[in-house]
Amino acid sequence: MSAKRSSINRPPTPDVDRDRENQEPTLQEIINIKMIESGEKERLKELLRERLIECGWRDEMKSLCRKKGRNNVTVDDLVHVITPKGRASVPDPVKAELLQRIRSFLASTAT
Amino acid sequence: MSSKINHHHQNDKTNGQIFPQPCPHLADFHARNGTKPFRAIQDCLHIKPPGGRAAIRRDSSEVPRCGVCGDSSCPRLYACMACAAVSCHVPPHSSHVAIHATKTSSACSHEIAVDVDRAELFCCACRDQVYDRDFDAAVVLAHTTSIIQSSKPENLRKRRRIDYRPWSPDLRERSLMVNNASPIDSMSSSNGDLPRGLRGLNNLGNTCFMNSVLQALFHTPPLRNYFLSDRHNRYYCQSKNGVRLCLACDLDTMFSAIFCGDRMPYSPAKFLYSWWRHASNLASYEQQDAHEFFISMLDGIHEKVEKDQHKPRRNGDCCIAHRVFSGILRSDVMCMACGFTSTTFDPCVDFSLDLEPNQGSSMKTSSTKTNHSCNCEADGMNSSQNCGISTLMGCLDRFTRPERLGSDQKFFCQQCQVRQESLKQMSIRKLPLVSCFHIKRFEHSSVRKMSRKVDRYLQFPLSLDMAPYLSSSILRSRFGNRFFPFDGDESNTLNEPSSEFELFAVVTHTGKLDAGHYVTYLRLSNKWYKCDDAWITEVNENTVRAAQGYMMFYVQKMLYYKASEKQGTS
Repeated sequence: MSAKRSSINRPPTPDVDRDRENQEPTLQEIINIKMIESGEKERLKELLRERLIECGWRDEMKSLCRKKGRNNVTVDDLVHVITPKGRASVPDPVKAELLQRIRSFLASTAT
Repeated sequence: MSSKINHHHQNDKTNGQIFPQPCPHLADFHARNGTKPFRAIQDCLHIKPPGGRAAIRRDSSEVPRCGVCGDSSCPRLYACMACAAVSCHVPPHSSHVAIHATKTSSACSHEIAVDVDRAELFCCACRDQVYDRDFDAAVVLAHTTSIIQSSKPENLRKRRRIDYRPWSPDLRERSLMVNNASPIDSMSSSNGDLPRGLRGLNNLGNTCFMNSVLQALFHTPPLRNYFLSDRHNRYYCQSKNGVRLCLACDLDTMFSAIFCGDRMPYSPAKFLYSWWRHASNLASYEQQDAHEFFISMLDGIHEKVEKDQHKPRRNGDCCIAHRVFSGILRSDVMCMACGFTSTTFDPCVDFSLDLEPNQGSSMKTSSTKTNHSCNCEADGMNSSQNCGISTLMGCLDRFTRPERLGSDQKFFCQQCQVRQESLKQMSIRKLPLVSCFHIKRFEHSSVRKMSRKVDRYLQFPLSLDMAPYLSSSILRSRFGNRFFPFDGDESNTLNEPSSEFELFAVVTHTGKLDAGHYVTYLRLSNKWYKCDDAWITEVNENTVRAAQGYMMFYVQKMLYYKASEKQGTS
C-alpha cells in the first residue's frame, strides 16, 4: 500500500519530512493561511472557477478526462494526467487577473 | 498498486444513471455502520454561496491541516469518517490518508474519508473516489434546506406509459372509410419522385415569413399526423361552432391541400386573412418576423380551443399547438450572500437563444459533447486552436449557464429580507415533443433607437441530445459529482429516457433586417428540400449546413403512448 509510483514530473509540494515545530512557516504558507482566514481564498477560487468555465478551459479538461475512459481509471490517474496540461493551458489574462487580485490582497494586509 | 481495482465495472442502473457498485471497503463501512451511515454528515456540510458547492463545515478562520505533516496548502485534504482526522493525499509523493487507513481495526474502520473542500467520498484503501447513494442524499438534503420551491408545477401530471397496440380497421370501420373518402392516386402527380406533402406556397405580398413557417409546420410529425388523421375536422368544427374564425380549421384545409398530391403551388390566402383577424396589429403587407408569426399562430390555435372547450392549460394538453410545442422551463435564482435559492417553473413553446458574443481571445470551441455531428475540421480535442464557430449547443450552454444578475437587478432574498445580488440559472424541466430553437438575430435597442441583424454563422447538428440541459443534469452538476435520484418522489416519469432529437426543418433568413427573405429547408427521408415560396427543389445536405439558421425544428426521436385520461378524447 505504501508503494510509491516514481514520477519524473512531481507537482510542487512542500517537503513532507520537515519537522514543523522546529521551523518557521514559509512565506507561501503564511500567505495561504492569511487568505483562508480572511475568506479571500474562497473568493479567489470562485473567481477562478468562473473564468476557467467562461473561456472553455473546464470543458477542455473534461474532454481530456473522457479520453482516458471510464474503466480502470482512478482519480489519481486523472489528476496526474490533467495537471501538467491544465497548468499549461490556463489563459494568460486569467493568470494576470488572479495575480493582480493576490497582489492587492497582500498590499491590503501588509503589516 | 492496489488502486487499479476494477470495482467500477459492475454497475446497476437507476433512473438511467449508471451507479457503480461499492468497493469492498465501502461495503464494509456500510456493514459496520447501519443502513444510513452518512446521514449524520448532513449537519457537517456547509453549502457555500453563491455557487452552492458543498464542503465540510468549518469556522472561517479555521485552516484545515494534515494531521501528520501539518501541510495546509495541498489541494486534497480528507477527513476520516470514523475519527475526523484530517490527512493529505498527494500522489505519487505521499498519502497520509492511506497511512491513516491502516489504523483500521476490527472495532473501527478508518478507510472511508471525505474531501473537506468538495464533500466527496474517498476510499483510502483503494485510493480512489467512491460514490454512495446515502451520502449523496445527505448532500442533497443539506442543499434543499436552503431551497424553497414554489408549489410543484401543476402541469407535471404523471400518466403511466402504455405499450403500443397496433390497430387495423374492422369491417365497419373499413366500410366507413371506403364510403366517405376517396383514395389519393399516387400516380397522378407529375413529380412522382418527390415525397408526398411537398407543395410550393405562393407569396401573397412579402408573406415569405408565413410560408417558411407553414412549410416547417406541415412537416412537423405530431402536427401533421394530428391533422391528417382528421383530429380536427373543419366541417365538424364549423357545424358545431358556426362558421367563424378558427385557425385550426384553416390549418386543416391547408393540410388537405398540401398532401392531396396536387403539385401546383398553393395560395394560403384564407389562412392569411384569418391570421390577420387574429393578429390585427400585424395585418399588413409589410415584412414580418417569422418567429413572431409562429408564436402568434400557436397562440391563435390555442385561444380558439380554450374558448370552445374550456380546457385549462394543464400538462400542455389544452390544444394541439401546446401538446406539440409546449415544454417547461425551470428558473433558479440564488442569493449570493446566503445561498438561498428560489425556484419557479414556466411553460414555454420554444427556446429563444442568444448568439454568443464575439469569440475573441477565448478558447471556446465547437462543443465536445456527445452526439454532435460537427462540420468543423478540428475535432474537439484540438481545442487549443480557437475554432471560433458558434454552435447550437454552445448557445444552449450559454442559455443554461449561471448568470450573475447585475447590481441594478438585485433580487429580493426571502432569507436575508433585503435585495441582494444573485445568480440565475435556467434549465429545462420538461422537454416538448418538438423543440423549436429561435436564434435571436434581430436586435432591437430601444435605448439606442436602432435595430440590427446579426449575420454570424451558427452551426447546428442533425441529431441533438438535450440531456445536458435538463434540470436534472444542471442540478446534478451544481451539486458536484453526485449520483442521486432527482426529485425523489417524481422518479422516472418526467425523466424521459429519450432526450434525443432529430432535425427536420430549418427556417433561414438572408438579407437585411428590413429587406430580407425567408427560406425553409425540409428533411424528408434523409433528403433535403429547399422550399422557397412556390419553388421546391432537392438540395445537398451541405447547402443546408451552410445556411444561416434562424429557426431550427427538432422532433423527439422516440414518442411514447400515454394512457388517456378519458375515453374517446380528441
